Parts: sequence; structure tokens; C-alpha cells
Amino acid sequence: MEENEKKTMTLNLTPREMAVLEELAAKKDLSKTGVMKLALRLLQAVDARTQMGHKFLFENEKTKEKSEMILV
Amino acid sequence: MREFRVYLKETATGRLVEASLFDDISDRHLGLWGDTWEGAMEAHCRGRKAGEQPEDHHWDWKVKAEAWRPVLGYHSFALVCDGGLQGLMWVCDFRSARIPAQFGKPLVYVEFLASAPWNRPEIQTPPRYRGVGTVMVGAAVELSRELGYRGRIGLHSLPRAEPFYREACQMTELGYDAADEGLMYYETTDKQADWFRRKR
Repeated sequence: MEENEKKTMTLNLTPREMAVLEELAAKKDLSKTGVMKLALRLLQAVDARTQMGHKFLFENEKTKEKSEMILV
Repeated sequence: MREFRVYLKETATGRLVEASLFDDISDRHLGLWGDTWEGAMEAHCRGRKAGEQPEDHHWDWKVKAEAWRPVLGYHSFALVCDGGLQGLMWVCDFRSARIPAQFGKPLVYVEFLASAPWNRPEIQTPPRYRGVGTVMVGAAVELSRELGYRGRIGLHSLPRAEPFYREACQMTELGYDAADEGLMYYETTDKQADWFRRKR
């Protein structure tokens, strides 16, 4: 298979997971596939930075309080 | 890596000349950057005070490439004309919009964009080619459309580039961002992206 050929996978989701996926798709104006691909890219990017020793933080804009998002 | 035919304006003749836009910055492009841009930039900066130097003179594209290449959500572009490297751009596809009407929707964020030193009127008079920035912004808009983001793009502008994004690209200014070195943040809506595509 050439490097640029795409591969297909089947994803089984619980009703709750599917509901979340559909909600995100509507909110982000993306297809469900688009949401899954975005999630993959975001997770990889966050993982790459945490591997470099960076922390993934949330900051409350009003209070400036920070909390760390721990990823496994 | 895909190659697209685009056009730049050759200042000396006023003609549109064919150029190649690549949707990946390869080792060859980085080699061209090191062999041609770096020296020209150093020569221009020699003897100039910090405030008189190009705002991106310190950007090391080889170091940047090491950061973006392993990550799916980063994309890069190189613009070549007449065998010479004319422009470079690095974008991210997992940031989200701030304009209230599209808040939270994903957009393509331009991390870094630069034109070759000889294309800048503050370095060479007259500049060799015009239109590099327009081609690159257009590439970001097209990537945004390919990803399903309807052409939405965003960026923080270096101060001297603000007129280009505000006036030539008609992007929306959302204010100076203290969280990003105090740079002005710009964004397009899908309608603005459509306008930009038609204008080109």
C-alpha cells in the first residue's frame, strides 16, 4: 500500500459516546469523522509536548487560577 | 507532498511569473533557507539596532521543523520560484476560533509565515517578488476548507505585518493579546475566506 493511501477502521461507540460525538460535531461544525480526526491530532500534539516536559494547564480567565490536566 | 502552481508578481517586469507551492517544507527547502535566507538576513541586520532589524530575523526554520514534523496537526508550506525559496509557513489545525459568531469552532492557525529577505521592501528596493504573503494566506484558507473548517484561519501578527492582514487580507482584528507577546490577533470568518478566494 502506498504511503498516501488511506486505511479504514470501524469504530464502535456506546450510545453516550455517540451522543457526545454528535454534540461536538454540531458544536464544531464538523462531520463526526472530522471530530475524531481533530481529537487524534490534538491528543498527539498534547502528548508530544508533555513528553518534552511541558504541562497541559487550564486557566480560569477571570480568576487566573490554573489547574493541570493529567493525561495518561 | 503536493505541488501547486501559483503566481507571483516579478517587480522588475511587472509580469506574473509561475511559482510552485509545496504543502510540506522538505529538507531541500530547509537547505535553501540556510544557504540563501540566513546570509541575506545577517547581512541586512549587521550594524542595525534591534528595533531596526526584521522582526523575524531570529527565526530558525530548521529548529521549527524539528518541532512540527512529528505532529499530525502541524502543516508546513514552501513557495519556490525560479529555483529560489520565496516563502515559508507553518500552521496548526487544532486551535479554535475567537470571533463570537464562530467561537470554539476549529480553524487553521498560522504559527509562522515569512517571505524571503529579497522580497521585502525594507530589505531590498525594489523587492524581487510580490504576493508571497497572499499566496501563503490563501494556502492556509484552502487547508482550512480541506479540513472542513470552511476557510477559517487565525494568527497573531508581527507589528509591521498588521496592515497586510488588516487591509490586504481584510481579516478581523480582535485586539492585542497579552497571552501572546502582546501581538494583534486576526481571524477570518468563512465569508471573509470566500471573499479572499474570489479576490485572488
